[in-house]
Amino acid sequence: MGQEAELFNDFQLDALKEIGNIGAGNAATALSQMVGRRVDMSVTQVQVLKTDRIAAFLGGMEQNVAAVHMPVYGEICGVALVFFPLERVGELCGMLVGKREDDPFRLSEMGQSAIKEMGSILTGAYLSALFRLMNLQMIHGVPGLAIDMAQAVLDTVLVELEQKEEVAIVIETQFLENDKKLTGSFFLLPETGSLRKLFNAFSKTIGLSGNG
Amino acid sequence: MDDDSQVVGIAEITVAQSPQRLMAYGLGSCVGVTLYDVKTKTGGMAHVMLPSSRLRPLATPLGKYADTALGVLAAEVEKAGGRREKLEAKIVGGANMFEGLPQNVAAPIGLRNVAAVRQKLGELGIPIVGEQVGGNRGRTMIFNLEDGRVEIRMLNQPAQYL
Repeated sequence: MGQEAELFNDFQLDALKEIGNIGAGNAATALSQMVGRRVDMSVTQVQVLKTDRIAAFLGGMEQNVAAVHMPVYGEICGVALVFFPLERVGELCGMLVGKREDDPFRLSEMGQSAIKEMGSILTGAYLSALFRLMNLQMIHGVPGLAIDMAQAVLDTVLVELEQKEEVAIVIETQFLENDKKLTGSFFLLPETGSLRKLFNAFSKTIGLSGNG
Repeated sequence: MDDDSQVVGIAEITVAQSPQRLMAYGLGSCVGVTLYDVKTKTGGMAHVMLPSSRLRPLATPLGKYADTALGVLAAEVEKAGGRREKLEAKIVGGANMFEGLPQNVAAPIGLRNVAAVRQKLGELGIPIVGEQVGGNRGRTMIFNLEDGRVEIRMLNQPAQYL
C-alpha cells in the first residue's frame, strides 16, 4: 500500500461509508424517478485501493465488464468509472428501460444510453455527497461506455491520468427492485495533485467531527 | 498462466528467451511492442504508456514512454544474446476505447502512442513485421519466444495471431 492508502484509517473509512450511504440514497431517489418505480440502493462495501488491485477487485484482468467513464472536474480532478458485471447488463437494461437485452455485446442504442445514465446517476450522487460532507465541489463530464476487459479499461484511464499506479476510492452499490439484486462499483481516480487535496479534506472532516 | 509465462506490466520492459512467454494483459490505449531475433530465440516486450518523455519533469521509468522505452528494449535484448541487426518488431494496442473521451489534441492518445512507436522503431532501424493497432477494443498480447508468434485475445472474439 502506498502512503496515501495508509492515510485512510477506520474513522476515515467510516466517513467514506457515510458518503456512500448518502450518495446511494440520493441515487435511489433519482433512479426511482427515472424508471417510475421504487428502486432501493445500498452500499455493500467501501475501499481505498491501489489501481493495480482494481482488476482483481473486479474479478481479474480479463474479466468482462461494462464500464462507464466520466471525466471529473473541480476541486478534485480525475476520472470516475462505474463498472457493471457484463453478464448482468442485460437485466440492468430491463430494470432501467423495461426491456431486457439478450446480448451485452450488441446492446441497443437505448440500452447503451440507459447504462451510461445509470453510471452518471451514481457518479453525480456520490460527487454531491462528497460535496456535502467534505465541501469539495466537483462535476462530471459526458459519460462514455466500453464493453471490454477490466484491465483494458484501467489501462486507458491510467494513460489518461498519465500515471502508472495510483489510489482509487471504491464504493460498491447494490440496486434492489423487488427481489432483483444488481450491483455496480463506483471508482473515483483522482489526479496526483488532487489526491493530496482529497486526503486533506478527509483528515479535516474527521478532525472537526471529533467523536461524532 | 503457466510457469514459463511472465506478465509485463504498464511501463515495464522485460527480456526473455525460448521457451518463455511474455504477456501484456488488457492493452487499451497503451502499446505492447515485441522485439525478436528468430535465430537465437531471444526477445523482449515493452508496455508503452505515453508517446514522449519530452517536457516531463521526470522521464522515468524509461519504459513508460515510446521515445525512451524502445532503445532500452533493443539494448536489453542484445545484451541477452539477440542480434541487434536482425531484430524484428510486432506492435499491438493503441485503442481508443471511450469515444466520448475529451481530446485536447488532434489525435487520440492511443494513435499518438502508435505513431511514436513507429517513429522510434524507424529511427532504430527495426522493421515492423506484424501489427494490430487502433480500433476501440482492448487486447491481451501473448508473445511466444519459441517462434516469435504473438497471440492477441479480445473479448468475445477468436484468438488472432501475428
